[in-house]
Amino acid sequence: MNQKFRILLVDDDPDFIDINRTILESNGYEVDAAYTSDDALEKLKSLHFDLLIVDLMMEDRDSGFTIAYAVRENEKLQSLPILMLTSAEQKTGFKFQLSKDQEWMKVDDFAAKPLRPAELILRVKALLNKDS
Amino acid sequence: MNTNGEKILVVDDEEIIRIGCQRILEEYDCSVQLAENGRIGLEKLKSERFDLVLIDLMMPELGGLELLEEICKIDRNIVSIIITGFATIETAVEAIKKGAYDYLSKPFTPDEFRAKVGRGLEKRHLLLEAERLRKEAAKNLIECTKQKSRTQTIINSMAEGVIATSLDGTIGLVNPSAIKLLRIKNEKIVGNRIEGLLGIPELEGKIKSISKTFVPATFQFSTAENRFLQANITPIVSEESSVGTVTVLSDITEEKKIEEAKSNFVSLVSHELKAPLGAIEGYLTLILDGLTAGNAEKEHDIIQKSRDRAAELLDLINDLLDLSRTDRKKSLKAIKKIDMAQLLRDVCDFYQNEAKEKSILLDLTVADQLPAVQGSEEDLARLFSNLISNAIKYTPKGGVVNINADKKRSLLAVFVKDTGIGISKDEVGKIFDQFFRASSAVQQKIGGTGLGLSIARKIAEDHNGYIEVDSELGKGTTFTVYLTTTEDR
Repeated sequence: MNQKFRILLVDDDPDFIDINRTILESNGYEVDAAYTSDDALEKLKSLHFDLLIVDLMMEDRDSGFTIAYAVRENEKLQSLPILMLTSAEQKTGFKFQLSKDQEWMKVDDFAAKPLRPAELILRVKALLNKDS
Repeated sequence: MNTNGEKILVVDDEEIIRIGCQRILEEYDCSVQLAENGRIGLEKLKSERFDLVLIDLMMPELGGLELLEEICKIDRNIVSIIITGFATIETAVEAIKKGAYDYLSKPFTPDEFRAKVGRGLEKRHLLLEAERLRKEAAKNLIECTKQKSRTQTIINSMAEGVIATSLDGTIGLVNPSAIKLLRIKNEKIVGNRIEGLLGIPELEGKIKSISKTFVPATFQFSTAENRFLQANITPIVSEESSVGTVTVLSDITEEKKIEEAKSNFVSLVSHELKAPLGAIEGYLTLILDGLTAGNAEKEHDIIQKSRDRAAELLDLINDLLDLSRTDRKKSLKAIKKIDMAQLLRDVCDFYQNEAKEKSILLDLTVADQLPAVQGSEEDLARLFSNLISNAIKYTPKGGVVNINADKKRSLLAVFVKDTGIGISKDEVGKIFDQFFRASSAVQQKIGGTGLGLSIARKIAEDHNGYIEVDSELGKGTTFTVYLTTTEDR
């Protein structure tokens, strides 16, 4: 890995940021974190990132989607890969499926929380390779 | 002539006639009494029941025709036979008009007498039988009407809707509850085919299909007003063949709401439990997968944070237990008269140390005696513990938490006032919802389960009371608990 990929983690639970940051950093990624959607959008506009990992449910029920929309609406950020994490499938009893909901979700990958380190790295690698 | 113990009265002023009649009748199974004039005859008729009376028309004191009139007043079914010495058509017709059955003209032969008396007795039997039948019919009719209206009243008073249909789907009966439950506007639906009349095509279809299959079915559906109804459709079977269906409708909206609230609660709880457990699992995985690379400081931090999340889980579970305890039936709780001043002193004493650690002044200003409240001491202590511990938790260092109480009519008002972070106007309406956390609390990273206030409100309501809240963001919050006191106003 010649050049360090930069990843933005967005979650309102500091412990999940801490856990995912540790996993990603020990795999050689550079990590920044945001705890609110406003904070995340601010950072996305001013800094460069190669991947966005965002929690679906933050302070509001669907702020993860709000971020994903904002990213896709923005010309500069349109191609930024998004990995959405959520525990929503248990909460709503509805299993999200990427293929079916991709149009609406506007994200590149979707995973249920918590994600084991190996699984997270696998998904991150896949998204970053697709991009390059 | 046939006799069977009948009672016969002979009223005649001529002794020969009286004796003659008695002689003839002695041969038969009947009892005979004699009266020598109309007055005596009438007295006998008033004191005894006779089947047949033989009356002489011409008598001193009370004439035959007058006696006849009196007899009709006593019993219309007594058969009277007139004995007349001057049998003219006129007197006979007059006597028969007045209610006599027949007449005998003097002199008469024993055979004539037997024939007339025999026919008279037959008439008497017919009259009695007719009377009996009439009474029976009237009685049956009354019973029948009573029975029908009783059944009708029962069906019309039922809270459940009842609809009966014949096999071809013609509506035979609809009670007022069914009309109300289905909001049927068309008043004349009885006698018409069911299609389109009930407003629920699926229900109409089910009823019709059960007229064919004869298999009872239960079916739930929602109405346009968002109410849930349950229909139990049963075939009406009469002598081994089905003749129609009866549908009983009940409103199950409340049950559905409770069911939904329960399932929502379970998924909310699962979600709340999942977050801290997920974090703990994630942290443990970091260590196990060697991602901390033996960094002792990092590992210590992870263990610390895991313990905090475990503590959060314990708080949550304790609150859930409290919630289920307040849900328990009232009869299982120890209900007694509670000294509210003492209860508030105890709760404040318990939180004094916690307040001191944050340099918060926890001040209780209540009278020595407060109106007593009937209730569960454990629950009321939980209510004020939740409010006071919240006040301390959400009040920054150096603040004040003040508790005082006041009697308002038949209510005791307890105020828990803090100088804390406050709740925004948008959110103040949601704070009693289960698992709701105000954003002011979340932003300042003040932990909590979001259950404490919902438990407090439930306890207040269980004690015929309620909680009011008044809050200003950044300034503080006052919770006022109103409880019904046992004392007279």
